[in-house]
Amino acid sequence: MTERDLVAHLARFAGALRVRRVDVRLKDELDAAEALPLVDIFDRAEVHRTLRTALKVRRADWDTFDRVFAELWDAAGSRSSRARRRPPRAVEDHRGPPRWEWDGRRVRLAVPGARAAPEGETPGYSPDALLRRKPFDELNRDDVRRVEQLIARAAARLATRRSRRLVPSRRGGVVDVRRSLRRAVGTGAELVALARRERALEHLDLVLLCDTSGSMDPHTRFLLAFMMGLRRAARRAEVFVFNTGLTRLTSWLGAGRHEATLRRIASLVPDWSGGTKIGASLAEFVARHQNQMVSSRTIVVILSDGLDLGDPDVLAGAMRAIRRRARRVIWLNPLLGDARYRPTAGGMAAALPFVDHFASAHNLESLERLVPLLAA
Amino acid sequence: MKREIRDMQEALDALGYVAEPVVATAVYLATAMRKPLLVEGEAGVGKTEIAKAMASLLGTELIRLQCYEGLDVHTALYEWNYQRQLLRLKIAELDGRDPAELEATIFGREYLLERPLLRAITRREGPPVLLVDEVDRADDGFEAFLLEVLSDFQVTVPELGTIRAEHVPYVVLTSNGTRDIGDALRRRCLYLYVEHPTLEKEVRIIRSRVPGAGERLAEDIGRFMQALRKRPLRKTPGAAESIDWAQALVQLHRDRLDAEAVAQTLGCFLKDHEDVSQTGGETLDALLTESGVRAAAG
Repeated sequence: MTERDLVAHLARFAGALRVRRVDVRLKDELDAAEALPLVDIFDRAEVHRTLRTALKVRRADWDTFDRVFAELWDAAGSRSSRARRRPPRAVEDHRGPPRWEWDGRRVRLAVPGARAAPEGETPGYSPDALLRRKPFDELNRDDVRRVEQLIARAAARLATRRSRRLVPSRRGGVVDVRRSLRRAVGTGAELVALARRERALEHLDLVLLCDTSGSMDPHTRFLLAFMMGLRRAARRAEVFVFNTGLTRLTSWLGAGRHEATLRRIASLVPDWSGGTKIGASLAEFVARHQNQMVSSRTIVVILSDGLDLGDPDVLAGAMRAIRRRARRVIWLNPLLGDARYRPTAGGMAAALPFVDHFASAHNLESLERLVPLLAA
Repeated sequence: MKREIRDMQEALDALGYVAEPVVATAVYLATAMRKPLLVEGEAGVGKTEIAKAMASLLGTELIRLQCYEGLDVHTALYEWNYQRQLLRLKIAELDGRDPAELEATIFGREYLLERPLLRAITRREGPPVLLVDEVDRADDGFEAFLLEVLSDFQVTVPELGTIRAEHVPYVVLTSNGTRDIGDALRRRCLYLYVEHPTLEKEVRIIRSRVPGAGERLAEDIGRFMQALRKRPLRKTPGAAESIDWAQALVQLHRDRLDAEAVAQTLGCFLKDHEDVSQTGGETLDALLTESGVRAAAG
């Protein structure tokens, strides 16, 4: 293989990887083109190692990489050496796909023999304690207002999280020797006023995607209340709702009564409480909004029961794109509150590999448990 | 295999670092292409060891920057020597000197304390190996800063001006994957994912790191660890734990594993309360049988 052949072949190889959703960029190809002449390109294993290193293939993509390598690279090599080697079988997991199991609190990978941690009990009694555990769809009219207050309070707690980074402060904090001295130069080494530093306020960027289909109906209003509370705590929060399409709500969720807001939303959103196309809606989000709204600081929260009417592959693709960019992806599923529920429905199973935290959202307690996840 | 890579593998071996071809290739490429090497993998697989071995291989200094949340420029790059500055100011006060001139003096190079990043680029004797350890622990603001340093190999100290690298250092970054490393930083590097060692490699690691451990003991530990890693644990032990364990067993004058020895030294390789409590009695027996240690001993 000449060098030109090599570059052309490398480009084909990288293209094939990209088609299979392995994130390989032009820069990586250039690195690989630089690296290959440094190694023995007739040594299959060495080329394999080199490409994996130079193209920066993540552990999760190794199986795909192996397959593409076997298809393309071995085929190209055999043309010159005529020794057609059998492509090595990609490492297969004989245990089958990971099973997710509900352990009474959250869903986790099924691990034989592992015991589930007992549900944490809060000592002491408060009238709110019962309310905290009451499923949203069983709340009466009086409960609703109290729950909304508690939700707002839980969300507000987020605003007080501080980073470990120190920034200059006028109010107080630890002495900033560096700036104090700098000032002292002007006053002849006399420390007239001490400069101080304190821990920076951590800014929270949030994107909330909320399912408003019929199956989510009893939960939607509280989840929206939670989102509105979060909006006040976060530096930036974008809110979307989806069912058969995606609607951006950010400008509509202002202050004011939830009742009025919900009615206004209902008039805005097509097919409120209709069927769901989760995959298509999330794909739309990725295509139209992701680049502006999601960065490595952003936590993406998806509220949905995962009962998708569309193609699971579309959903998986959208989730993969979101996961790659966001700091964390949290999926809240009210159905998890039901002990009989198993997240095996097509949509949910397709999305789960790309979710950092999969939690229930069927009562106030479960929403409150979410707060530390959002802050850290 | 290319000769240079084979040589590198042998040289690393001679230094006591048991390198697989993957590691040797990556280290060779990183040194030949002068690109930073990003090493990922679970805790205890020997990520940091790669940088140490690289430094002794190249016969140069290893400069280490340990990352943590809240790491800032003053810890990573430079800091002024305040005590000296204050002293100088007090002396100057007696002379009654011009403040502007004074400032120029106390913000001079001799009042600057070099932190790892600055030391790595100002080392005069040749390029050092710069190890940026656990880069995923630093916040992403620091990551952006690091990216800038790694692309230009120059830093700007406001009071002094721009300092250029004397020699471009060899850079190794490690990450435990507690947070995804930013794409820009990842693309700047070559990438190596280190897995837990195979049985054969683990035995070699133990033999080379713990000279007191006999063939039998090393083999037993290796087999036991391989079986243990297949279990669901909260903290899966790495090769580092195998070495600790081998050392402990040598201290206890054991030349092979048995149930009693394992029970006594559980804390060497299980470092989580839940893991320890789940690996008592029956599980231990099962592990010993699985790893073939029990059958041979019984």
